Amino acid sequence: MSEPMPQIATPISLQARGVSKSFASGKVQSTVLHDLTLDIRAGELTLISGPSGCGKSTLLAILSGLQRPDGGQVIALGEDLGELDLRALERFRLLHTGFVFQGFNLFPALNAREQVELPLSYLGLAPAEARRRAMASLEEVGLGPRMTLRPSELSGGEKQRVAIARALAKRPDLLFADEPTSALDAANGQIVIDILHRIARNHGTTVLCVSHDPRLVGHADRVLAMEDGRILSDRVPSPTSTPASGIEEPQA
Amino acid sequence: MVALARKTLVYEWRRFLPAILAVGFSGLLQLLQAALVLGIFGSASVYITGSSADLWAGYPGTQSVNLGRSIDAGVEMRLRMDPDVTAVEPFRWVDADWRGPNDTGGVSVFVSGINARPDGMMFSRALPLDLRARLNEPDAVIVDRADLSSLGVGVGDTAVINGHRVRVVGVSSGLRALGGVNVVASLATAASLDTDPSNVNRMTYFVAKVRDPSNAPGVAERLRGNRAFGNYDVWTAEDFARRSQLYWMFDTGAGAGVLFLAGIVFLVGAVITSQTLVAAVVGSVREYATLNALGVGVGALRKVVMEQAFWVGAIGLAGSTILGGIALVFAHSRNVPVALDPLTAVACLVLGMGLAIVSGLAAMRSLHRADPATLLR
Repeated sequence: MSEPMPQIATPISLQARGVSKSFASGKVQSTVLHDLTLDIRAGELTLISGPSGCGKSTLLAILSGLQRPDGGQVIALGEDLGELDLRALERFRLLHTGFVFQGFNLFPALNAREQVELPLSYLGLAPAEARRRAMASLEEVGLGPRMTLRPSELSGGEKQRVAIARALAKRPDLLFADEPTSALDAANGQIVIDILHRIARNHGTTVLCVSHDPRLVGHADRVLAMEDGRILSDRVPSPTSTPASGIEEPQA
Repeated sequence: MVALARKTLVYEWRRFLPAILAVGFSGLLQLLQAALVLGIFGSASVYITGSSADLWAGYPGTQSVNLGRSIDAGVEMRLRMDPDVTAVEPFRWVDADWRGPNDTGGVSVFVSGINARPDGMMFSRALPLDLRARLNEPDAVIVDRADLSSLGVGVGDTAVINGHRVRVVGVSSGLRALGGVNVVASLATAASLDTDPSNVNRMTYFVAKVRDPSNAPGVAERLRGNRAFGNYDVWTAEDFARRSQLYWMFDTGAGAGVLFLAGIVFLVGAVITSQTLVAAVVGSVREYATLNALGVGVGALRKVVMEQAFWVGAIGLAGSTILGGIALVFAHSRNVPVALDPLTAVACLVLGMGLAIVSGLAAMRSLHRADPATLLR
């Protein structure tokens, strides 16, 4: 076993510093994240895996600025998200982040191209530019010939690719994906994770993916295993894609 | 810009149909109600709108034509002295008791004593000339076709008004009264039916024509306030007609009833419409939340909901306008008293749009469920 290629050229784009979060259900206070510190690099597909309820989705919500931590700091692209108010946070997300969810959340009334164009129009792009970008993104995820179809005419894998194109067309620096493959069969899951990996490589995007799907482990550049609100291991899987052969890195 | 609101409305029209129907029907109800009210209470001023006079002189403060008190007969001279007045004629109003030949009991009637000459101003628009001429026969009266059965008479029959024998010489149409029955007679016949001794040498109204009808308000202003012939006031026909209608509409409580009904219609429409729009928002809440996660502001999402509310209102009201038009034409053909002026029609449609907007505002509140953090679990 050899050390993987050193990743000197990839800067750290997303940092968590002592992040903690707990929820109250009735009188019971349950801590979901315990004082978590983490650096995530651009140009990589980072996978957070773990059993359900381990806090990985909450971590994603906090790192992406959708939720605020109870304690600690999140620094994204050099900006402390805790210092932004709600409107500034929306603006930050509009300019810098893309999301892919487990459910595809596409508008039934819009065709694939319009789904992708919709957020672009709020970016202030001219209609022609928005359309050009939307078409380019759909081409990139391999849906060029299907861009005039509505969600009801697309398969699950195609819908998820539309959702990826919608996130990609904004040219985000940060792309967050929550269980992007768990509603898909093996082949489509493979396509989706390949696309996410390619986006990280080709666009230098920070792709942070949360999943309990073991098939994804081999496709990630880095795998963080989480349990009970803590990161148990941080490793770089070998290209042969069997989870057991990963190389342990020092724990974060 | 992707027209999300409109495309969703078209694609998911079944979801929005209840709201469109609710707005449409409440708009239709408001329109028809307004038309009926205006039609029915418009007949309170048929004495004015059915006549060609520009000015009315009567007792000060008279709230409605049927409430007139007598004024000094000398007022006629005062009106004639004005250089802009080209014609003056008296109009005698007598509240009377009718006993028909058949067993109808006592019927309260309003006797209108008018100048029966062909150039008379009173009821010049409501009575054809040959019918007018028949009033010149002694004790001749005309009643409305719609009142024949309640008076228990036919043309040629005799009846008794205030103990005086009269003969029905013809029937008119469109002279139905509110709260009683109209009987038209000549001034002489009406005078003989008036049993109040204090009304000798006095008249209920004098009506006048002016050279240029557009000057009527100025002439009325000039003629009022003169005390030389006792208490009297002068109004333009338009003012007096409006005042009579408003009296019937509001001082009788009928208008309050109408407004109450309009409020109920608005409320029911708003409840249905807002519930439908809320359901539409909730049905798309995950998509809205995704847009918000991608950085589309809550304000922009609210705009989408309000745009949908606007289109729901516009489509619904287009429907009510078409159906309302058909209903009004049908009502006219069946002699149902309906009247709708453009201003009232627009007010009804604005009310309908207000309903849609209020419902949109209510639906907008359910956007708070579009929290993107809820998508991550």
